[in-house]
Amino acid sequence: MMMLKLAFRNILRNRRRTLLTVLSMAGGYLLVSVQLSVTEGSYDQVLDFYTRDTTGHVQVTVDGFVETPTLYKAFSLTDDLQQAIDALPGVQATAPRIESSALGYGDTRSFPVSVRGVDPEREAALSYLADKVSAGRYLSSEPDDQGYAGVMIGAQVARQLALDVGDELILVSQGADGSLANDLYRVQGIVGQPGDVEERWVVMPLAAAQSFFVLPGEVHRLVILGADYRSAPRLAERIGEMLPGQELTASSWQTVAREFHETMTADKEGGMITLYVIVFLVCIGVLNTVLMSVLERTGEFGVLKAIGTSPARLFWLIVLETLLLAVIACLLGGLIALPINLWFTLQGIALAEPMEISGIVFSHYRGQMSAYVFGFPMLVILIAAALIALMPAFRAARIVPVDAMRTL
Amino acid sequence: MSSVIETRDVSKHYGEGDTLVKALDRVSLGIAPGEFTAIVGPSGSGKSTLLQLMGGLDNPTHGQVHLANKDITQMSGRELSDFRRDHIGFIFQAYNLIPVLTAAENCEYIMLLQGVPEAERRERVYAMLERVGLAGREGRFPHQLSGGQQQRVAVARAMVSRPNIILADEPTANLDSQTGSDLLDMMHDLNRNEGMTFVFSTHDPMIMERASRLIRLKDGCIDSESEREA
Ligand SMILES: Nc1ncnc2c1ncn2[C@@H]1O[C@H](COP(=O)(O)OP(=O)(O)O)[C@@H](O)[C@H]1O
Ligand SMILES: [Mg+2]
Repeated sequence: MMMLKLAFRNILRNRRRTLLTVLSMAGGYLLVSVQLSVTEGSYDQVLDFYTRDTTGHVQVTVDGFVETPTLYKAFSLTDDLQQAIDALPGVQATAPRIESSALGYGDTRSFPVSVRGVDPEREAALSYLADKVSAGRYLSSEPDDQGYAGVMIGAQVARQLALDVGDELILVSQGADGSLANDLYRVQGIVGQPGDVEERWVVMPLAAAQSFFVLPGEVHRLVILGADYRSAPRLAERIGEMLPGQELTASSWQTVAREFHETMTADKEGGMITLYVIVFLVCIGVLNTVLMSVLERTGEFGVLKAIGTSPARLFWLIVLETLLLAVIACLLGGLIALPINLWFTLQGIALAEPMEISGIVFSHYRGQMSAYVFGFPMLVILIAAALIALMPAFRAARIVPVDAMRTL
Repeated sequence: MSSVIETRDVSKHYGEGDTLVKALDRVSLGIAPGEFTAIVGPSGSGKSTLLQLMGGLDNPTHGQVHLANKDITQMSGRELSDFRRDHIGFIFQAYNLIPVLTAAENCEYIMLLQGVPEAERRERVYAMLERVGLAGREGRFPHQLSGGQQQRVAVARAMVSRPNIILADEPTANLDSQTGSDLLDMMHDLNRNEGMTFVFSTHDPMIMERASRLIRLKDGCIDSESEREA
């Protein structure tokens, strides 16, 4: 208690210097916290969007399909399995998918397309597919009155084959049994714009895809949306334990979209470098003031030692003083960061030009309010303060009382 | 009679070669309990150095310093600081109170290091400050006290932790003669009534008058010694 009192009064001695030190550390805290908030908020937005849009959080597939997808690595999806996964806590939606390729024919031309078989209702509840219809209607499970299954086509497919809503599309491919697959479909809708990832897609109801590729009751992926993309690895583990047989595996989106995940992580780490530079600059300033305050008090430390203060205690006194400054700075910084981060979270900064990804518009940089955004800068500042204090504290601890007191 | 502190052949040299200064040269000296000893001598004769070595503030170049049959010159930094805390009270010419602590806290500090319980600390501090005539000024900071009052706090600080000996390096040099004389009377009282052992270094004739033993230093050596009935 006495040491805390001593430390506290010591930092109040030179108020102007203390204020400057606290302000510079608080400024460092503020910059780190706000940048983290905006970075985390933006990545959060992107990752949340990406996983919903593309991979889901977890996928059940045949072993190896994620790495090298082929038509033949399909599995039969039982109602039992799907219901069991649907019933897991935190699972928001599940949707089966079939993925393969085919050659599409319009009136006069042909064009290679990527075929997606989806359950229209389940897919609409999981991904943004239903939001991306740019013309016509979203997919329906029922064939039209002439018995044709309806499909949605990507913008590039529509252009290359000169197709529009209501036209007929012929697909030719190979079935899983080796037979020649070909069938006629009615274009019901156009999905996305030219340039979107969906531009070469032909999306059809799951049952139509199963019969086209001769995969009765089978699917390539069961896509699962959990509570949060961050907890995907844990969810994948849970689901993995429920899977029957050896050949099925549950992979989190980090595995499914490995490259994307690695790019994002590297990008984020690159952003952290700026933060460390800020902290480093703040540290140099603070180190200077701490050193100065220790040097000024050399004589006094000599007296403290002369009357029986141990070197270790003197060491801790300096560390304590610096940590006290850091704690005050973090509290101050946190107090200022709070409304700023809140504003970024609720309001955000408008992008100069709204970014559109597959028909979904990102218009704002958003912040994030989380324990991480406030706690991490605090940890960094406290650790930095402790490191800064080491050298001056060591100096003070090693003082020889007679020499030190001569400076009085 | 056995000594509280004993120096055996203690030397302290500063510098080397041409600039070598023998601040102390083979000084052997024992201080008995209850003594009120004055070390006198011209400036630069080694008085401060002798007190510093006796108090474990510095290590001698040669020789040993014994307290309670322990050679303190062999102690580590940590052992030495504990030794000073428990056995030595220091009074300095420039008072050297901790500026951010009040009079009471300055006194309390060493007992805190010693692990004396809070209630006992307070009781001893208040009694001691009253004893040195500072009742009612316990909460003042050093800069709110006069030089004489600060030196009284320093005496109280040195006394209150119950050391074996108090080493005072020219304690009255910064004080006017009346204040110095009052302070000396007070220390003399503490010496006679509580048996506290004092060793002073001084130029002050007032201290020499009251001292029970006078040690004259010259060029780092004991020049002469005299004892007197107090
Ligand atoms: N740190 C030091 N470095 C060099 N010489 C010193 C140092 N401390 C004391 N001395 C020298 O040692 C001698 C004794 O000094 P000191 O003990 O302070 O004498 P006094 O207290 O009697 O005036 C003096 O000549 C002084 O200059
Ligand atoms: Mg001196």
